[in-house]
Amino acid sequence: MTARSPLKGALDSKGKQAAALVVLVGLVCLLATPYAPWLVAWPSVLTVPMSDWISQGLGVFFEAIKPAMRWVSWVLGFGMAGANWLLVSTPWVVVIGVTTAIGWYLGGLKMAALGFFGLLFVLASGYWVESMNTLALVFVSVPLALLLGTAIGILAYEVSRVKKAVEAVLDLMQTIPTFAYLTPLLLLFGFGPVVGLIASAIYAAPPMARNVLLGLERVDSDIKEAAVMSGGTRAQQLFLVELPSAMTQIMVGVNQSLMAALSMVIIAAVIGGFNDIGWEVLLTMRKAQFGQSFLAGLVIVVFAIVIDRMSGALAQERRRYSTRVVWWIIVASLVAAIALRDILPAAGTLSYFGGVADTVDQSVGDFTRNYGSTLDTVKNTAMFYVLLPLRIGLDDAVLPFTWGFQWTSAMSAWVYAIGVVVAAVLAWQGRLTLGLCLLVLIGVIETGVTQLPWIFVLVGVGALGWVSSGWRLSVLCVGLLGLILISGLWDRALLSLYLSGAAVFTCAVLGGALGLWAAVSTTAWAVIRPVCDMLQTIPLFVFLIPMLMFFQIGEFSAFLAIIAYAIVPMIRYTRHGLVTTPDDMIEAATSSGATEWQILREVRAPYAAPTILLGLNQTILYAFAMLVIAALIGTTGLGQSIYIALGRADVGLGITAGAAMAMLALVADRLVQGFAEERRNALGL
Amino acid sequence: MTGTGGPDTPAIAVDGLWQVFGEGARPALSELLTPGAATTDGVARRLKEQGLIPAVQDASFTVKEGELFVIMGLSGSGKSTLIRCMSRLVEPTGGSVLMAGEDILAASKRRMIELRREKLGMVFQHFGLFPHMSVIDNVAFPIKMKGVGLKERRARAMEVIELVGLGGREDAYPRELSGGQRQRVGIARSLAVNPDVWFLDEPFSALDPLIRRQLQDEFLNIQATLRKSIVFITHDIGEALKLADRIAIMRDGVIVQIGTPSEIVLNPVDDYVGEFSRDIPKGRHMTLAALMEPVRGETDAGGPELRTAMTLDDALSACALTFQPMAVRDGDGKVVGVLRPEALARAVGEAHSS
Ligand SMILES: Nc1ncnc2c1ncn2[C@@H]1O[C@H](COP(=O)(O)OP(=O)(O)OP(=O)(O)O)[C@@H](O)[C@H]1O
Ligand SMILES: [Mg+2]
Repeated sequence: MTARSPLKGALDSKGKQAAALVVLVGLVCLLATPYAPWLVAWPSVLTVPMSDWISQGLGVFFEAIKPAMRWVSWVLGFGMAGANWLLVSTPWVVVIGVTTAIGWYLGGLKMAALGFFGLLFVLASGYWVESMNTLALVFVSVPLALLLGTAIGILAYEVSRVKKAVEAVLDLMQTIPTFAYLTPLLLLFGFGPVVGLIASAIYAAPPMARNVLLGLERVDSDIKEAAVMSGGTRAQQLFLVELPSAMTQIMVGVNQSLMAALSMVIIAAVIGGFNDIGWEVLLTMRKAQFGQSFLAGLVIVVFAIVIDRMSGALAQERRRYSTRVVWWIIVASLVAAIALRDILPAAGTLSYFGGVADTVDQSVGDFTRNYGSTLDTVKNTAMFYVLLPLRIGLDDAVLPFTWGFQWTSAMSAWVYAIGVVVAAVLAWQGRLTLGLCLLVLIGVIETGVTQLPWIFVLVGVGALGWVSSGWRLSVLCVGLLGLILISGLWDRALLSLYLSGAAVFTCAVLGGALGLWAAVSTTAWAVIRPVCDMLQTIPLFVFLIPMLMFFQIGEFSAFLAIIAYAIVPMIRYTRHGLVTTPDDMIEAATSSGATEWQILREVRAPYAAPTILLGLNQTILYAFAMLVIAALIGTTGLGQSIYIALGRADVGLGITAGAAMAMLALVADRLVQGFAEERRNALGL
Repeated sequence: MTGTGGPDTPAIAVDGLWQVFGEGARPALSELLTPGAATTDGVARRLKEQGLIPAVQDASFTVKEGELFVIMGLSGSGKSTLIRCMSRLVEPTGGSVLMAGEDILAASKRRMIELRREKLGMVFQHFGLFPHMSVIDNVAFPIKMKGVGLKERRARAMEVIELVGLGGREDAYPRELSGGQRQRVGIARSLAVNPDVWFLDEPFSALDPLIRRQLQDEFLNIQATLRKSIVFITHDIGEALKLADRIAIMRDGVIVQIGTPSEIVLNPVDDYVGEFSRDIPKGRHMTLAALMEPVRGETDAGGPELRTAMTLDDALSACALTFQPMAVRDGDGKVVGVLRPEALARAVGEAHSS
């Protein structure tokens, strides 16, 4: 009793208890691993062959529903051929005219110009036909997605009992990696564009569903009651009043849905079999024709921007522009198409930027030739001194030919000793949790993420879950990770965890700093903001191109691509959290004599903490999403498994690896959300 | 299932109405309400102990045909909940609401829709206008629900739009209107089907004082011609006194007093009610009926024309120069009492000094 009470007194908070437990388990593992290798590598006898089971089970099921699916495929193929025919055989003058007219209607001169020049660029790039093929896929998949999403949203809104379940499913659908959708569909529908079509319809439905639900819930209760008191039936209330009143939010859904569909259509190009722009990128990338692939990527970006800005304008409650002008533009383009039909060149034959592509190739070639050693130095430094130690630990990564010396166990002992001393000092200063966390960190770097004992990982994550929100989350996290462990995907999961962890950490530091800078300087924000906007509009695929150009295939390129994509939310949320601190809090601090810097540290930062955590959460999800795409340019881990499964049409592996990825994302999401929630409650928000 | 009442049936009769929020409210309430059980207060206390919220407790009152009945109380006292029970926007936990003799709590879904299409109109504090519809479409919406053709419903909508003084703005959208104009649209919409019963939940609270006064006057004008049976909610005692035929005062879910404006001002049942009318100049609300004495012998017939319904302020200005006891007549001109000037002066002085 007396022996325990000082310990109890020292460990007076959840955080300290959890950290102490993790350190203890870590210590035990450290001492025991040499004698019990099964602590690191899960014994293969205990591995449950889930992939095979799923393959077999689904195989039977798929055989059963295949006829029905072939029929669906036939119908959709029909619709797609129609859309395709419409877009490709319509003279490009008219397509450009109609786009410009829509732009005018939605946003006046600016939007019209965007549409006009955007499509002109596409035309001049020589990728017109491929682009129209992509667009045709989007045009068929998006209405399906919108319909599906609206139906789901309404269902969740109307039947409050299923709302929670629907939301959970939507969460899951958005964490399942994009490639993972493709494998089962491939098996069901066979090679061809219909797979991409259906995948993008499924992938683009959740954002719509979410926004429909959100919009309906946000309709003013007075408006809803006014509809009731007007004597409307439930259907009348819903369709005549509530849905139209929620239109702004629903249009946000349409915008997100369009972007998701575009992204998925382009990703689906890896299946091949359809001459679309994504395929073009992939093909040129594989042939190392970076100039061409850059150009095709640019076309995708232009497309994305045009679609995003135009559909984004839908979600803004602004006046619409005159329809007279709209008709004039369309008529003018029709007239032009007829009058000039013999003079105008056919769309696919143009290629004004062939030179540009060559120049890009040329200059990238020159650049890599001249600065190749610098680039290599950058890459190797990051690989050998940061990523590799993180992956396999200092004890394996420190080798004479990279670091100049061999790591010895004496060095390990020294590192641990120093860690213990620092931790003790911290504990003495009253920051025991920090000290313990430091010890854990040292242990991880010493051992390497991919060689961590599984018990240590499970306990660590369980402890985090417990601190962040309580027992239930802890059990959930451990359960999900346990599933991955016994499925035999553990090694690959740790590889994924290591790479995305490193990228997320970099994003958090770099993005946090940029967000802070943007918060204090409006000029900085004026520069950063358009870049962020741009990065968020670009489909995932395109991020790979520049990385490949300069750093070739490999983990480092993937690492950079992940950072480039995942850093945006961190910047945005950090800035947003810091600048939206209520004015009266700032004024109270100012009148207490706080300096700008003190206000930032004492008032803005704590207030912004929940928002910043949400940003981190987004960053993590983005990183996972990109991790899978990055498998195209050489990463190991789950992403690679999913990609391989797609190539082999191995549903079992595709689904288990996809699910493992989704579980990792879910665990990370819940943990961070838990912390954010805890912060919010602490602030009384 | 139409009304079963005769000519004397009140437009609305609320009896023992309870609204309890929270999980399992209904069984909890019915268990506590067994005959011979605790008082209202006791029941409410027990409910709160179970973590439930008794927002309306045992409310009973009637609203006569053509009467303007005001419910008043502080924020959170349960006024909105009460009116929502009566229009069945929320499902009451206990009690009954009769409209023209018909038990609307027993009405089927179909019947409720029918009632709303034919007999009920409601105005909301934050207007509740449909943002995607023009003024005329907003106003025509309840008529559209009835299935009336486009032309006819537009004509009817125009009528009420003119009535609320918005003629010429019928094609505007709600976002293009000022607050006062928006509430006019809300009023027009609630009147579109020419309802018998008219619910207004703090219709003028979101408006600034000048516009509010203007709309109150217009509201009184409209009521003078239409003679609806009205339940009007407000937290402003001035508004209540100005508009009401009778006022019910609510506190923490309980109706503590029901009476005419002068009863509320002159005979508050407790400090809570008294506190409301503390700053109200009594001369403006007290009528001679409360001050006059019975007729004894002859009265001075040559004095100013005094009526029972006159407020003290009006009487004072009418007889500033008279020192004789004066006759007070009822609405038909018959002498019903005598007023001594001293009494008047004293009463007005008291009223103003309190
Ligand atoms: N749906 C609900 N669930 C739980 N409690 C509710 C609900 N609606 C109202 N209440 C509670 O019932 C009480 C009365 O609310 P109500 O809105 O009727 O007050 P009010 O008198 O209209 O106030 P105000 O003047 O602010 O409109 C409040 O304590 C409120 O918190
Ligand atoms: Mg209210």
